[in-house]
Amino acid sequence: MIEAKDTGVLAGFPPRVRRVREPVVALWVFAILALLPLMSSGYVIYILPQYMLFGVLAMSLALLWGFCGMLSFGQAGFFALGAYIMGLCLQHAGTLGVNAAYLALLASAMAGAVIAGAVGYFLFSAGVRDSYFVIVTLALSIIAEQLAVGQSQVTGGWNGMFIPRMQLSFWDWRLPLDSDASIYYLIVVFVAVTYSFLRWITRAKFGKVLAGIRENEDRILSLGFKVHLYKTATFAISAGLACAAGALYGTHAAFVAPSLAGVLFSTEVVVWVAIAGRNSLLGALLGGIVVSSISNALSAITPQYWQLVLGVLFVVVVAFFRGGIAGAVHRFSARRRG
Amino acid sequence: MAELLRAEHLTKRFKGLTANDDVGFSILAGEVRCVIGPNGAGKTTFISMISGHLQPSSGHIWFRGEDITRMSVVERARRGIARKFQTPSVFNHLTVYENVELAVLGTSRPRHRRDARVREVLELVRLSEQSDKPTAMLSHGQRQWLEVGLLIGNDAELMLLDEPTAGMTAEETHSTGELVRSLARDLRLSAIIIEHDINFIRNLEAPITVLHLGRVLAQGDYDEIASDELVRDSYLGH
Amino acid sequence: MSAALSVVVDATLITLVLALAAFGLAIIFGLVGVINMGHGAMLTLGAYLMWAATRMDVPFVLAALISALGVGLVGLLLEHVVIRHFYGEPLETLLLTWGFFLITTEIIKIVFGTDLREVVNPLPGSFDLGTIRFPAYRSLVALFAIVLMVAAALVFYKTRIGIRIRALMQNSEVASLLGLNIQLTYKIVFVSGSFMAGLAGALISPMLSVDPYIGNIFLVRSFFAVTVGGVGQILGGTLAGSFLVGGMETVFALVSSQVVAQTIVFAFAIVILRFRPQGVVTSR
Repeated sequence: MIEAKDTGVLAGFPPRVRRVREPVVALWVFAILALLPLMSSGYVIYILPQYMLFGVLAMSLALLWGFCGMLSFGQAGFFALGAYIMGLCLQHAGTLGVNAAYLALLASAMAGAVIAGAVGYFLFSAGVRDSYFVIVTLALSIIAEQLAVGQSQVTGGWNGMFIPRMQLSFWDWRLPLDSDASIYYLIVVFVAVTYSFLRWITRAKFGKVLAGIRENEDRILSLGFKVHLYKTATFAISAGLACAAGALYGTHAAFVAPSLAGVLFSTEVVVWVAIAGRNSLLGALLGGIVVSSISNALSAITPQYWQLVLGVLFVVVVAFFRGGIAGAVHRFSARRRG
Repeated sequence: MAELLRAEHLTKRFKGLTANDDVGFSILAGEVRCVIGPNGAGKTTFISMISGHLQPSSGHIWFRGEDITRMSVVERARRGIARKFQTPSVFNHLTVYENVELAVLGTSRPRHRRDARVREVLELVRLSEQSDKPTAMLSHGQRQWLEVGLLIGNDAELMLLDEPTAGMTAEETHSTGELVRSLARDLRLSAIIIEHDINFIRNLEAPITVLHLGRVLAQGDYDEIASDELVRDSYLGH
Repeated sequence: MSAALSVVVDATLITLVLALAAFGLAIIFGLVGVINMGHGAMLTLGAYLMWAATRMDVPFVLAALISALGVGLVGLLLEHVVIRHFYGEPLETLLLTWGFFLITTEIIKIVFGTDLREVVNPLPGSFDLGTIRFPAYRSLVALFAIVLMVAAALVFYKTRIGIRIRALMQNSEVASLLGLNIQLTYKIVFVSGSFMAGLAGALISPMLSVDPYIGNIFLVRSFFAVTVGGVGQILGGTLAGSFLVGGMETVFALVSSQVVAQTIVFAFAIVILRFRPQGVVTSR
């Protein structure tokens, strides 16, 4: 009974359209992703993990924006921070003793969560407006990009940083991830775990309160909820995930440059999520994968017109279809089922 | 009966205007009190100082003997002071059930008791049948009731009801009065009610405080107030 | 001594140029509550129109006017087609104007290309007053910024449209009861803000190399200048905020790098935003 109710709140749609079974669709998606390397190889298997990590980045934004009503233009900054941390750890792998990649993943998740937690608490405890928060995250993004450029002795500046491929290890057993398929599977698992984690927290008490904050912040305050703590926690989780995804991206792409932290990339993430549907985790994940792969394919052919199309699409979605594609799918399938 | 809330010398000044001037007030556990007065008398300012939405310029408020004058809305809500706003403030895109569930989540009730509590509250405010409907589909009166349900579900001890019957039919108004009285009688739930509807106030048979230009003009039961010369001149007689 | 004085002159000029750049944002944000994320794109567009006009040998002042009118027209279009349906929804208008930024930037890239463009400086060189050297064009623009803002203040406080706008800011319900045409007033404000952004972009263009993202440097700084100064304090707030943001950046840049200076100033602005969300200048 409770089960059925939760979907309504947390998917963020009016309850009458809650009959789409998101977990079923998600299971299909992950099954297809898992089977893909058996059927295909080459460029697709090489590049897809990067898009999946963009999908995680998109989910981290959806958590913040769609579920809590706070928009961040700084997600790319956290993503890039993760990549740089991974790069630094792997470069000093010899001196660290433990598996440097594990350390990097942990450190990046912590770094993202701590930075976002500190900034978030600082702002939310004073009740800073949501629209001001957007600008602050934009400023964070600019700072991140400039630091990446400026601290060239650490980051390599404009030239970027080359990052070795990580390997898995359990005690004495080592598994290099040099083949495309092996790291592909690592990342599929990471994406699936992240999705499940986010779905779990958004359906638990935590997520219900977030929905309440998004719907009516005054009311939720008057019910005695410490809204600033919920917002801080959400921002911290979102940033921690973006950072960890960035760390994996760094070791997969083998390279990170300041533009990864930039405002333009942050903007792209916002566009993916808006178009795919900010209220749906799975929508954001698929949006991140699909839109970023289309972007990359079309950027090679007609970069400017594609960006223009994205911009127009963005405005249309924000003005007329706030649920994005996922919202439209939900409505459509609900109508068909009556 | 134990005193639940006491306010002394409450004063609120905005720029040049004094909205509340040296207001004193107290309410017992399980008691219902009405605050009336013409528009601009400072009724909502008064309620807002009790709920924590406004900080008084001077004066003190005690709740169960504890000085809460400087506490935030959240801290007061956690102690059991719950406010119903003038225009219903509920979660419009959630279902009726989910609305009350959020209120119950705000209490320390263990997980396995929550569902039963939500249903109990829905029963009290007569919204059990609307449980799965989105709140946006409720009538205005039903939304007012839902908001009262949120206060109950949140384990309020003192409800601040700002015009609870606004926009209600005569019948709904009557049952709202019944609800408030039965909550006070059976659950010892106190309420401070701001109202304009004189019939509603008379039926409530509750002590009345009359505010005028930010000051307490008179206190007493309906008949006393109705026969008070000052009140007749400035308010009831129009 | 003269070194210190020249820093003061530098900081003053930077303050005034930033105030000019932020002015359009201050108008739109302060008076109709829209955080115009397209402000940067409006500055950029003004700069490119300026470049195009001066290349066609249009006299400098006329070219600046044409650029400002052009951006004002674009602002009118944006307001009429999209923004007017979303007044009172700060997050939505923020997103929509950001979309406007995306679209405008791409159109600029398509029309003008991505190469750096140089607008010819009409007043190259500098002049000396005592021991201090003033860059000629920059000083003139700074002077113009003061004149423009004083003129705007006169309009705001002395004319009928100014009184209408202030009435609207105070209380839109009462204003509409008094028979003010709210939609039209908002439109006038939005278009004036766009016009100012276009004018600022045009006048600033000779000081920098023009590229499609030139306005973005100013977007966040303008926003902070406006909020630090005090939203709605069109004149005093914008000047005070620009002074704190621009002036601090100049001073910090002396002792460290430009990047560090900007980081410090952003952090400072965020701190102000938290502790004084109403800004340093208030009407009370």
